Amino acid sequence: MKAKQRRITRRGLLKGSAATAAATLAPGVYMPAIANTDPIQIGYLPAFTGPSSSTGIGIGRGTELAVQEINAAGGIKGRKIEMVMRDTQSDPTKAVNAAAELTRRHKVAVMWGPLNSGETAAAIQNIARDGVPHIHPCWVDTLTDPKKYPMAFRNGPSNQQVGIGANHYVVNVSKAKKVAIVSDTTGYGTASLDAYTPMLKKIGGDVVYSASVDANNPDLKPELLRMRLGGAEAIMPWSVNAGFLARIINTRAELNWDVPIVGQTTLGSGQTKALLAKPEYWEKVYPNNFRNLSYDAQGQLPPQSVEFVERLRKAKVDFADTLLWWVALGYDGPRLIAEALREAGTAPADITAYWSTKVKSWKGVYGTITWSADNRDGFQQEEIIMVQANSLKDGAFKLAPGYA
Amino acid sequence: MLVESIISNGLAVGAVYALIGISYNVMFAASRVFSFTAGSVGMLGGVFGSIFIAKMGMPVVAGFLLTLLLGAILGVITEFVAVRPVLKSLDQHLYVLSTLAVALMIQQLTAIYFSTDAVPFPRVIPIEAGIVDQKFWLPILACIVTILGLEYLFRHTLIGRAFLAIAEDTYAARALGLPEVGLRMASYALAGMISVLAGFAAGQLLFASLANGPLLNFYGFVPVALGGMGSNRGAVIGGLALGLFQQTANYFFGGIFSSVAVFIVFIVVLLVRPEGLAGAATARRV
Repeated sequence: MKAKQRRITRRGLLKGSAATAAATLAPGVYMPAIANTDPIQIGYLPAFTGPSSSTGIGIGRGTELAVQEINAAGGIKGRKIEMVMRDTQSDPTKAVNAAAELTRRHKVAVMWGPLNSGETAAAIQNIARDGVPHIHPCWVDTLTDPKKYPMAFRNGPSNQQVGIGANHYVVNVSKAKKVAIVSDTTGYGTASLDAYTPMLKKIGGDVVYSASVDANNPDLKPELLRMRLGGAEAIMPWSVNAGFLARIINTRAELNWDVPIVGQTTLGSGQTKALLAKPEYWEKVYPNNFRNLSYDAQGQLPPQSVEFVERLRKAKVDFADTLLWWVALGYDGPRLIAEALREAGTAPADITAYWSTKVKSWKGVYGTITWSADNRDGFQQEEIIMVQANSLKDGAFKLAPGYA
Repeated sequence: MLVESIISNGLAVGAVYALIGISYNVMFAASRVFSFTAGSVGMLGGVFGSIFIAKMGMPVVAGFLLTLLLGAILGVITEFVAVRPVLKSLDQHLYVLSTLAVALMIQQLTAIYFSTDAVPFPRVIPIEAGIVDQKFWLPILACIVTILGLEYLFRHTLIGRAFLAIAEDTYAARALGLPEVGLRMASYALAGMISVLAGFAAGQLLFASLANGPLLNFYGFVPVALGGMGSNRGAVIGGLALGLFQQTANYFFGGIFSSVAVFIVFIVVLLVRPEGLAGAATARRV
């Protein structure tokens, strides 16, 4: 029997190619369904070394615990989450390069961080350009913008909110009407001074002194004398320079003046305390902090934070040498990301849409978050409070006097 | 309180500026180079003191001596790395770049391995603060001891006279058989020690802080320019005047305006007397 030879024609080849292509493009029809079990990669940019490392290490502990818990509970529909971490070394240039590596080479589904404003300011534009959904906790106001950075969301307060919280405490809670505002000459200091002074006046505060001062000036007595002459009932320093803040506190004590000092978180930092001439000078110093992670008048944390602290202890996560709110902030970030991946999938547009429309009064350990299409600053104003600097215990402070 | 505060603070910071000015001058006398490492090495005086005494728990005297030794070593490194290679082309002023590069490296390494924040400096003498605290009189004492020490060195010792000979005329001194390179290295070691002494003595006033480097570099140079280049007497007068004027401006103008006032006076003085208050106008061959 003569075997029938088939000729390879152009038409036959085209038909075969089309069938192969169809089979490839429609796996649901032609291929057996195999669940994707690859881990979902999340870009993670902490500063574990360099000058911002104390923040990075604290946030990192919370992030690590959250990821462990999410994966232990089965991950995202059977897929583990994998943090692709790069240490930015507190260097904005390194943060930019690391962000590009994570978004372009690793094609991460979401970015968590950078975790400080300087690095985020440097990297946010590139992350936005690469179309990767992005959560950061950084305070600088301009680091969220639905038009410029449509995929960026903030799970911390903005500077504006921090200023409102401090001003509210001074004018409405402590009932001080005459206020002295002082800043250092850095961009942060002068921007805060410019932004907070009109805000304070708006709620009835009488600004009797307002100036930017060189942070390295060893003698701040003239400035404090001017404040006292103006009749200041509270001093609000805006600076992250521990030396500058410590000099203000030391000078207040040298002048035997017991006016409260209310302002930036660094007022309550260990670096500031170390520079005080005497530990008791830390009395009546009230840095800003967060209600969920502060002790009330009876020395108790809110119930959800008590439970969080228990969880940290069980997991042997050390928090006594850092700040509890840093750990809590780090814990909330991956949980917000995991929830969106679970509910909306891994498509960038779906994740962003989920955060914009479904995150309403989301109860985190650090804060309650509400995002919308127009508002990417989800932190609740009433959760920003002032605390007593000299009350630090196990990473948390006691509420400043006067709060209900 | 006002006058007392201006005088105590003004003289204290003025003495620190004067010491940095003297350090500039000692290096200038030996090499005709203004080494912009003076302030950064001065900043390290506070940093070393804080590390050795507060962090490592060394006795104050041991910490102080070790700080002086490291200052001398840094001075020699500066001479070897940033000055010697550019001495042949002094007219091109390459030393500005090379010494600034070393200063920058010191700043960066301090930021990486120490801290970018101010760190407390221990109390040097364990006594309670009296009428005038030690943070004010220690820099003044350090300045007085340095001036007296230099006077003794230059007037009563052979090596001091050799320093002066090199400063006066390098070629003639070399022709007389003086070891120019060795003396230059010794001058830089001495300048390094004076710089760290300034930072150490001012540790309680300025804290151990990275930010002190540029501050001392800048304000330490003002008395040199005001007092006349190479004149230690001029540097001391210029430094103390600068400190007092700065504190007075701080009280009367406040905030950042005091710095503006300082530099207005600085520019006016240089316009009126370009050779400095204690400097002599040099003849120029035409």
